[in-house]
Amino acid sequence: MKKLILIALIAMVAPYLQAQKVGFKVKGSDTVLPLTQKEAENYMKKNPNTSIMVTGGGSGVGISALLSGTTDIAQASRSLKLDEKMKLNDAGKAFKETIIAYDALAVIVNPSNKVSKLTREQLEGIFTGKITNWKEVGGDDNKIVVYSRETSSGTYEFFKEHVLNKKNYATSALLMPATGAIVQSVSQTKGAIGYVGLAYIEKTVKAIDVSYDKGKTFVTPNIANAKSKKYPITRPLYYYYLTSTEKTVNPYVKFILSAEGQKLVLEEGYVPLN
Amino acid sequence: MTFKSSILTAVVAFSLIFANYKGFAQESSVSTYTADTLNSKIETIKSDLDLLKRLKITGYIQAQWQLADTAGSVTPFSGGAFPATTDNRFMIRRGRIKFTYDNEFSLYVLQLDATEKGVALKDAYVAIRDPWKQFVTLTAGVFDRPFGYEISYSSSARETPERSRVFQTLFPGERDLGAKLTLQPMKGSKYDFIRLDAGLFTGNGINPEFDKRKDFIGHLSFAKANRSETFKYGAGVSYYNGGVYQGTKYVYTPGLMTDPNVAIIADSASSNKSGFAKRQYLGFDAQVSIQSPIGFTNIRAEYLTGKQPGAKGTNTSIASGTAPTVDTYNREFNGGYIYFIQSIGQTKNQLVVKYDWYDPNTKVKGSDIMTKSGAGKNTGLGVADIKFTTIGLGWNYRFNSQVKFTAYYEIVKNENSALSTVGTNGTTNTTKDLKDNVFTLRVQYKF
Repeated sequence: MKKLILIALIAMVAPYLQAQKVGFKVKGSDTVLPLTQKEAENYMKKNPNTSIMVTGGGSGVGISALLSGTTDIAQASRSLKLDEKMKLNDAGKAFKETIIAYDALAVIVNPSNKVSKLTREQLEGIFTGKITNWKEVGGDDNKIVVYSRETSSGTYEFFKEHVLNKKNYATSALLMPATGAIVQSVSQTKGAIGYVGLAYIEKTVKAIDVSYDKGKTFVTPNIANAKSKKYPITRPLYYYYLTSTEKTVNPYVKFILSAEGQKLVLEEGYVPLN
Repeated sequence: MTFKSSILTAVVAFSLIFANYKGFAQESSVSTYTADTLNSKIETIKSDLDLLKRLKITGYIQAQWQLADTAGSVTPFSGGAFPATTDNRFMIRRGRIKFTYDNEFSLYVLQLDATEKGVALKDAYVAIRDPWKQFVTLTAGVFDRPFGYEISYSSSARETPERSRVFQTLFPGERDLGAKLTLQPMKGSKYDFIRLDAGLFTGNGINPEFDKRKDFIGHLSFAKANRSETFKYGAGVSYYNGGVYQGTKYVYTPGLMTDPNVAIIADSASSNKSGFAKRQYLGFDAQVSIQSPIGFTNIRAEYLTGKQPGAKGTNTSIASGTAPTVDTYNREFNGGYIYFIQSIGQTKNQLVVKYDWYDPNTKVKGSDIMTKSGAGKNTGLGVADIKFTTIGLGWNYRFNSQVKFTAYYEIVKNENSALSTVGTNGTTNTTKDLKDNVFTLRVQYKF
């Protein structure tokens, strides 16, 4: 009898004697996704009792998930809209905003395209549908195929506001569900043009130099130029989380903001905070 | 304990410990699947899940306790009149369940309201959006009338227990049966902040149609935020043009009596019967939201004016499936409201102050409202001509995204009439301020 009681006690207590596993979810921006994956991977290596689940979907998706309570951190490439802040407030959810890194948005074309630099005005013309042929901007006689992210994407909104001067995208623009899809499409389509975060640039596509002073100077999208603020299309990347989960996620957020975390920011092709 | 039995004890204990690892059993079973089988199963689950995600079931329940100034308080604008035998009551104010099936360019919505009074239909409509420009949406069935801002502002989100008196009077039940078109540029386009809703409706709420005439309702609005998303503003203009079936040939226009020796004269042309009295409203609405260190501030206001046909004792719009059989009383009205809502920092607390008024007959003031003139002639005036104002003071505690507590006190004032046939108790004597203030304590659960 004594033995049976002992067995039962050990069996009941044993799971609690094991170190408690901490788990949380990060969801949202596809731009921030590779960075979060890298940071989470390294953080979990250092903290084996922590499990971080990372998914993309777009800034809007992450923020909706934070509202509905299906994620602990919303990663976003844009700041919260007033309506979103008010929805959180109406749900009695106090939140915190942390900038974890910066990103530079690069305009990419097919490597076979001989155009390698464009002014902001030319980009506006191309993405709003006023310029439809590459020969109008010094390229071959070839139709321009515009690729953009979906409307739920923070990148979509940032590009519209800062490059298109808030003008509409061309109705012919092809809206892609993920940044990776833009890279793939541009790499496979001769007349294609799109925009992606710096971290997504691959050899299969060509990044365009951009001028924000009507063609006087063109700046290459790279980390050095983004860090020195020479490259104009840069933006902060955010983490949003509720104060009620701050205790759980704070060690991870602190890790990203640490020298080690910021080193990973640089390694992944993003712009560190300092 | 022998050595053997000790080993046995340890083995059993360790077996039980390992059995607590959830992944242990799963790993071995997963290994029996081939990658293809697993992929195929995932695809099936994903496709089933995608279908399920189109169907959304949402709802909320508002359970409340109310205390009125006096038993039998007649005010119907705070959730219905009180029984003559009590000044306080428990009630389920709303018990909503809403089914939405969203198939990207078409939408099915059915909403029911289940309370202790029974089950009632709230919404039943289909909406179809043009798949090309995503600019036009056709909605048909039973749904909110597209007039102003407060009608379509959900009762679960509203900071006060009830809508304003002017809306409850002119648009009882908020919904109507009809069809409308919504024009709004696709999200992300330059003019996506502008929206036009316009449609034709039966004009008698969610009841069966009994006349051939349709009412037009339209609302043109916009809403914009500043670049830093700390300030948002919006405004709109609404128009209603319809008619109310005249049940008899007698049509009155009650107003100020210029000669106490002459009674109100009815227009009694025989063609009046089965004709239509003009129902015409014009509305303006505006909203401002500001984020500041003290929290979110919201200010919302609306003003309505127009012509409202009613009966002698009421100016509430018809909400019935049968044609009226009473004389028609045409009145000119105005009404509106202003909300001031302040969240306290990032806390769960929110304070609200609301002022609303409804003057059903702008041609007369309280002291003009008498049943008979000094010379004993019928004035045609009555309780339906009295102006009411309400000041509401409230506190909301948003416990979480599901649960909200509300405490709200309404101070209701009426014009002091000169009516002599209204009784002497506090619930009906409008020569003084009626005893119709109401305190509401509500808990809401929303999912």
